[in-house]
Amino acid sequence: MLDRLSFVFGEAIIALRRNGFMTFAAISTVAVSLFLLGGLGYSYMRAVDYARSIPGKFDMRVYLKPGIDAATISKTAAQIRTFPGVAAVFWIPKEKAWAKEVKDDPANTAGIENPYPDAFKVTIKRLKDGDPVADMLRSVPTIDPDPGVVYLKDEQHLIDEGLQVMRWLGLFIAGLLFVTAGILIFNAIKLTITHRQREIRIMQLVGATTFTIRFPFLIEGTIQGIIGGWISAFMLYGGQHVFQKFLLDLDSHAQLVAFPTFEALLVLGGAGGLYGLLCSWLAITSPNRSK
Amino acid sequence: MTTLTGASTPYIVLKNVEVEYPGHVTGLRDVSLEIQKGDFVFFVGKTGAGKSTLIKLLTREVSHTKGLVSLQGRDLGTLREREVPALRREMGIIPQDFALLPRKRVWENVAYAMRAVGHTRSEVRKKVPAILDSVNIGQRADAYPHQLSGGEQQRVAIARALINNPPLLIADEPTGNLDPERSWEIMELLKTLNLKGTTILVASHDMMVIHRMARRIVTLEAGCIVSDTSSEGVKSDA
Repeated sequence: MLDRLSFVFGEAIIALRRNGFMTFAAISTVAVSLFLLGGLGYSYMRAVDYARSIPGKFDMRVYLKPGIDAATISKTAAQIRTFPGVAAVFWIPKEKAWAKEVKDDPANTAGIENPYPDAFKVTIKRLKDGDPVADMLRSVPTIDPDPGVVYLKDEQHLIDEGLQVMRWLGLFIAGLLFVTAGILIFNAIKLTITHRQREIRIMQLVGATTFTIRFPFLIEGTIQGIIGGWISAFMLYGGQHVFQKFLLDLDSHAQLVAFPTFEALLVLGGAGGLYGLLCSWLAITSPNRSK
Repeated sequence: MTTLTGASTPYIVLKNVEVEYPGHVTGLRDVSLEIQKGDFVFFVGKTGAGKSTLIKLLTREVSHTKGLVSLQGRDLGTLREREVPALRREMGIIPQDFALLPRKRVWENVAYAMRAVGHTRSEVRKKVPAILDSVNIGQRADAYPHQLSGGEQQRVAIARALINNPPLLIADEPTGNLDPERSWEIMELLKTLNLKGTTILVASHDMMVIHRMARRIVTLEAGCIVSDTSSEGVKSDA
């Protein structure tokens, strides 16, 4: 049995070596497409997790001008609640804010007079409501122009746009590349069959089984897919490092997640291998197959 | 036309066989034939007469559209596709173009075929020299096909056909690419194998060699058998 396997695997390796360029093209396309498809899927999930993990990503802190009385504060809050995109408005009295600060950092707040103005915590409905709500808030006369409205503008933009790009463009490009990879694997196997017509004929003449004749082609396609999948896993590993570094630059408190190397190798290698197997099967069973 | 009648059960039987290729091209028409075990039969005829079709019928490269084809009492018409490799392991097939692998040495060509049908490495190491010696090509075991003469290449093709120790050897124009001297050497080799009990079927148009061999001759024309002359008949003609 081992002897038999060594023969069919040997045939597959010979074919992989002989079709160097097509093998390279098929593997690299599988790698890129799986990187985009699987990788972007993973990144999308990570980005969604990250977005969920950002404290107060839907919250805006709105500072009022000093010396505003309670009635005006109440009136302003009512006005803000009417803005489209605003989900809730909470008044944060300056005493309460300062008391929390003193509690959190007693060493640096000791002996200092409360510098905080009264403020609102404004919660928006969706990430994309951040900018229009901020513009409306800045137009309210009772709101201090500096610092005025504070919110995670860059993060909101990045996450919202990033998620959208990942979702649509990623799916489109990765899907296209995935199909291309399949065609390349199919063609690589077809090319192998053409190159190895003489070997196939000899095997048929001497009575080699269909398994012996066809199995090397299936192995070849599967190996191309697995290698492509593994390369995509490593690309993803690198990509995640770059992305996390970028997030750290934006927000030093961002929660980083360890890359699941083993799972990525298993899932992407498995997906690539299955896809390679499917494409090579289609290649050997398509009309001009060897009988 | 001389009709042969065998005393024992025929090894190969073709009964009213017709082969039609796509596009209504006739390969064989109403061919009936019996071949005994141990026979040496030549199929002769012009190009397109049906010699190769007849041979391909027995190797199941072609299927008949009508009639009966049997080998050792087994109806080849009912053979499933997955049973064809087993059928081919019961015969040795020598193609006209030798079909040698140019990048492999002589011994590797034979070894490759053995490995393809499931022989282990140790079996290959043990058997290949003996097979090569049996067709007198052992001394060129390390040569590449392009370093061999046509006759030597044909010997390698015959050696490869012998890997399964087949009781039946089928050769399509085995001397087609050889000069008369080499052709005769190949025929002598086939004769030796026949004397050891192997049934030999040869498609050829090399009439000089065929008559010199003085074996049974089946002549085909436009897909039909027009004569079937026994070896005795050939000898008396000569």
